[in-house]
Amino acid sequence: MSGELEMTNLHLKPGTTLKIKGRIADGADGFVINLGQGTDKLGLHFNPRFKESTIVCNSRDGSWGKEHRDSHLCFSPGSETKVTLAFHSDEFKVELPDGYELTFPNRLGYSHLSYLSVKGGLQVSSLKLK
Amino acid sequence: MACGLVASNLNLKPGECLRVRGEVAPDAKSFVLNLGKDSNNLCLHFNPRFNAFGDANTIVCNSKDGGAWGAEHREPAFPFQPGSVVEVFFSFDQTDLTIKLPDGHEFKFPNRLNLEAINYVAADGDFKIKCLAFE
Repeated sequence: MSGELEMTNLHLKPGTTLKIKGRIADGADGFVINLGQGTDKLGLHFNPRFKESTIVCNSRDGSWGKEHRDSHLCFSPGSETKVTLAFHSDEFKVELPDGYELTFPNRLGYSHLSYLSVKGGLQVSSLKLK
Repeated sequence: MACGLVASNLNLKPGECLRVRGEVAPDAKSFVLNLGKDSNNLCLHFNPRFNAFGDANTIVCNSKDGGAWGAEHREPAFPFQPGSVVEVFFSFDQTDLTIKLPDGHEFKFPNRLNLEAINYVAADGDFKIKCLAFE
């Protein structure tokens, strides 16, 4: 399976956890996981960038919000990885493969999520909802 | 039926396997898993009917080509129960789709659309997807 996976009609409520496993392509510059209510309505844009050694998170409501950057980058091209995203009414919690937890506020106050996309260098092998 | 999850751009290739795990509702009458190119071009419409459209405990399979349904295929095996967690495996090649049911029973359905990749998976009805895996 190649990138650009898109899912709609998800019906995710606060308290839901989404576990994504996959392989980061050789030579990838980074990847993106978007969660929200549509392509232009994102509660969480999660974007590890390998060249900048940074994880950029943001929200999008028609236009981008303020970027949040975290230098804890534990992803590398050509490896298997897993990310766990927890959706809460006040924030998103993202657990990285080494156990580090990153939080990002639920700025748009979403009480349900219907949209997920995975882009860039991450080839998803499984997706679990809890 | 409530409109369920839709996954697109999957690019599932012949020989690869799609594993779908989910919860069948306690009062389930029917659920659907559609696989194909898009909502109008389905190489497999997989529809276990507990009690719906005059069928009881029957799996109805079909294809949809350019919005037009093909001939129905009825599979008598029915290892599904309302209120349970089930897992179904799908794989395909140029001629057939192979469906493996929760009890291990396998059957084939012809790949009438000759699709070279499955890009679209959608769930509908009394079924909630908990896990999708590509193997």
